[in-house]
Amino acid sequence: MFFDLNIKGSSLENNLILAEQASQYGWNHINFSYSQDDFSNALKFKKELLNELEDKLSFDYTLEIKSNNPNEIRKITNKFRKKSSCISVVGGDLKVNRATLENIKIDVLSRPYLRRFDSGINHVLSREAADNNVAIELCFKDVLKSYLSYRSKVISNFKDIYTLYRKFDFPLILSSRAESVFDIKTTHDFIAFFKQTGLNDEEIERSFTAASDILEYNGNRDNLIFKGVRRVDDGS
Amino acid sequence: MGLKVLPPTLRKNNRYLAVDIKIDSPIAKDDFVSIVWDACVKFQGELNASNFNLWVMRFYESERWDGYYTYKAIVRCQRDYVEEVRSSLALANRYKNGRISISTIGLSGTVKASHKFI
Repeated sequence: MFFDLNIKGSSLENNLILAEQASQYGWNHINFSYSQDDFSNALKFKKELLNELEDKLSFDYTLEIKSNNPNEIRKITNKFRKKSSCISVVGGDLKVNRATLENIKIDVLSRPYLRRFDSGINHVLSREAADNNVAIELCFKDVLKSYLSYRSKVISNFKDIYTLYRKFDFPLILSSRAESVFDIKTTHDFIAFFKQTGLNDEEIERSFTAASDILEYNGNRDNLIFKGVRRVDDGS
Repeated sequence: MGLKVLPPTLRKNNRYLAVDIKIDSPIAKDDFVSIVWDACVKFQGELNASNFNLWVMRFYESERWDGYYTYKAIVRCQRDYVEEVRSSLALANRYKNGRISISTIGLSGTVKASHKFI
């Protein structure tokens, strides 16, 4: 199963075009991401989108929090936790990276290397990510839209994250962050690129599993009593 | 007189990629050849790109118009370098100040067989 948890969401028409293309290129599930300001508006046409895409592919929404204030991130997370199947925070700022990885209610730290000269995570943050089960997301678009030395630096940051991933085993997810049909690639191309940067087949497979686990975990969140204990329906 | 054809054991093994091209402005086959080479040299470097044995075998224009021009092509590469070529083509995103997207939609061992993807 091929999961992409970060495709930039916009209007209903645009989402339909992107979803159609993603389905043609072999994706099974996509998540449209919206910022905290647009998320509530996007929920209004979710049903309509669901009707249109029913037989093509499954989709959901990701709340993408953009803020440099850790306190604000915590408040937004609490506000939207029940409404969203996936909450991701755009990283890059060290304070934000740390606050995100320490918050068990957040699912994904997106692009910790953004606008930085390093990968944005170290051994301490990696351990936090593994303990709190917060995934770290790498976006294909960051490589696609950059070139020459900047592209090399982004790939170098990816490689630093792979090293930490192999040691600390935090969830790693790969996504496209496509904004238009020009940014969506076939699943094979997507895998081929990440193989070139140094991941192996098993690690790529695990990244898709990690994405599916996030969605499954959040689907059952209402039944969770506390960590490790879930209410099950035995049918009686 | 040309060179004698190599025996099969000494020939290079090729694979043929069927690719889907989306671009803002119309292009000809020659433009596509330079796009393919540029993409490979840019991402893999001159030394690695020399192993790829790249050749644009076929280039088809499409009538479809979705706000951009679409083309299909068959690109030859050497058997052991398919992943490298695929990823390089996927990373092509600008051509003459316009957007471009190249996606590999099929892979086969002969030109004839790769036509089923076109």
